[in-house]
Amino acid sequence: MNFRFSFRFAAVALLSVAALHAQAPATAVDPVVMLRAAIDEVMAVAYDTKATMPLVERARPVLAKYFNFESITRRAVGPGWRQFTPEQRQRATTLFTDLALRTYANRFEAGDRPGITYAKPVMLDPARPALRELPTTIDYAGKKYTVSYRVEQTAGGWQIYDVNIEGVSMIANWRAQLDPIFQSGGANAVIGSLEKNLSQEPVK
Amino acid sequence: MKTLLRSLILCAAFAGVNVSGVFAQKTPAEADPELADEMDEYALVQVSDPLEPINRVIFRFNDGLYDYVLRPVAKGYTRVVPEPAREGVDNFFHNLRFPIRFVNSALQGKFKRAGLESGKFLVNTVAGLGGFIRVSDEVPSLAVLPREDTGQTFGVWGIGKGPYIVLPILGPGTARDTAGAVGDYFLNPLNWNPRGNLEWYTWEVQTSVTVVSVVSALPDVLAAYDAPRKDAIDPYIAVRSAYVQYREAAVKK
Repeated sequence: MNFRFSFRFAAVALLSVAALHAQAPATAVDPVVMLRAAIDEVMAVAYDTKATMPLVERARPVLAKYFNFESITRRAVGPGWRQFTPEQRQRATTLFTDLALRTYANRFEAGDRPGITYAKPVMLDPARPALRELPTTIDYAGKKYTVSYRVEQTAGGWQIYDVNIEGVSMIANWRAQLDPIFQSGGANAVIGSLEKNLSQEPVK
Repeated sequence: MKTLLRSLILCAAFAGVNVSGVFAQKTPAEADPELADEMDEYALVQVSDPLEPINRVIFRFNDGLYDYVLRPVAKGYTRVVPEPAREGVDNFFHNLRFPIRFVNSALQGKFKRAGLESGKFLVNTVAGLGGFIRVSDEVPSLAVLPREDTGQTFGVWGIGKGPYIVLPILGPGTARDTAGAVGDYFLNPLNWNPRGNLEWYTWEVQTSVTVVSVVSALPDVLAAYDAPRKDAIDPYIAVRSAYVQYREAAVKK
């Protein structure tokens, strides 16, 4: 079974993070324009061979520009978010941003540059016109992967809040882990689990 | 013949489980509309996991096995065999597994896709030197064919996922996909046992070919497995969620 589970998830996760962490400049009217800019900027940072700073620090400002980490954290926590105090929300967002950045930046290996094809945006739900799904195909190391980005229109323009690689949503994956922790220990347990994870050495 | 019989019995056993309702589709609880609006516009994929305590033990066992046995094997393989050769081997086995994709496309009523799979098989076998070169990638309609397998066919037929099961060595799966793996086994020409007809195809040859097919698939499989697992807060749940989402998306494609 495991053998059918085979796609180069790790590599693509990286590339897509390239895309996951992005928030739109106010000028971008078309979400695809924002996504292209986000991916181009992240790739420029990731493939910068002269840089001396660690990738996680170089990528941070770029990703902070295109990704709405507050919204990502809220969705990753799920319904339990309503019971977080403003301070707890702030703390969880800071921790989760660090965790997301670290998770993906540490796995990046500069290899071949991927080719990306952008398809037409899809309206997710007519009742919620501010949300769109942006499907793309990533061509990496001879294989093709389906990666789609979920974006949301905010006062600051289009912002990315989820990346879905071959059907696996990052938000859903995080929520599957965080929700049981909230159910058993509340907001403090969620914050504690994020702190604990960040204090451990990253897995190579 | 004996193997065939044994596997048929296994198949029947799975079918029996199916009838007994273990596969019944689990309907997720209705979400509070107000909450759903604030939090989410899409439902999370659910799976029942009554065996979680046992699954977690096997998951930990597999971690050790992958770290100390399979990962070194995969690393050795990628180090010794150059990239073009590895790609050729991958392409060869992918091409060989054509019956799995063809039969399951047809069983799902996707006849156009079955036709495209046949075209792809023909092109790669003839022009691609027995499948080593994936010539079909040059044809846009053949380059992005979603892979079909028996587990997905069961899903399309409306059979529920059944409980989540972590098997030793093989890793994550659901009852439905485990039964599907039996179907795939029979559709894989590697297991057709042509020894009766081909004198040179001894059990040694068959075993070697099987080992190569498994080892060549390892680097990709392990990378896929590691992606959700690394840096996760709860690696067991991270892998389970990724696996179930991935398979659900595959059924829909």
